[in-house]
Amino acid sequence: MKKTLLILLPLMLLACSREVEEVPLYRQYAARQDLTVAQVKGFQLCDTVKTDVVILVADDSVAWQGLKEEFDIRTSEGITSWMGDIDEPANRVKRSVRPAWRAMAIHTDRTIAFYRIDTEEQREALLNYQLNNLENNK
Amino acid sequence: MTFEELWEHEERQGLQQRLQQDYPAWLRRRRTALATVVSVAVVSVAAGITLSTLHSPLATYDAVACNRSGIAEGHWADVAANILIMNSEI
Repeated sequence: MKKTLLILLPLMLLACSREVEEVPLYRQYAARQDLTVAQVKGFQLCDTVKTDVVILVADDSVAWQGLKEEFDIRTSEGITSWMGDIDEPANRVKRSVRPAWRAMAIHTDRTIAFYRIDTEEQREALLNYQLNNLENNK
Repeated sequence: MTFEELWEHEERQGLQQRLQQDYPAWLRRRRTALATVVSVAVVSVAAGITLSTLHSPLATYDAVACNRSGIAEGHWADVAANILIMNSEI
């Protein structure tokens, strides 16, 4: 009986664990009390291309104001997007720089999403994702 | 020893003998039943946890980490998708 449990329990725990390898950007903000932080690993952009996404959600307007200042977001409406440095996403970089974060800030949702771009394939897939949905929404 | 006493003594002896024979078998049956119940419970709980953490094969992500508990993993994949859809700036 004890032997069965000793074999069974670790197997079940192994099946249940799906650890996410946390990126530095997630780790940097995960400890913040005023933010809800998530990392989506392997977010599917199309059948063959995936990327990692980090999402920061400010819990209140004060936290959102702080985030806006940290990421140098000067507008207060709509969506603000930029290409950010992979280590310092607040720093704007050229569109051609790899790897980089494609950042999009949604003011109404107090949310910033960072899509990791390592390859041209990912950049194109991200654009196609937006284009396809724009066409679908017309 | 009277007949009644002898009868009572024999009856007790018989009962003790029967208990001695039957008790180990009863104990084995009880242990087996208990082991079965515990095994079923452990497997059910583990299976429940596994099912609750696995996402649908149609889901658009591999895994999610979040600093807050109680938010469904699929929510974050939806947020990632919705922000891309909302952003018309290419």
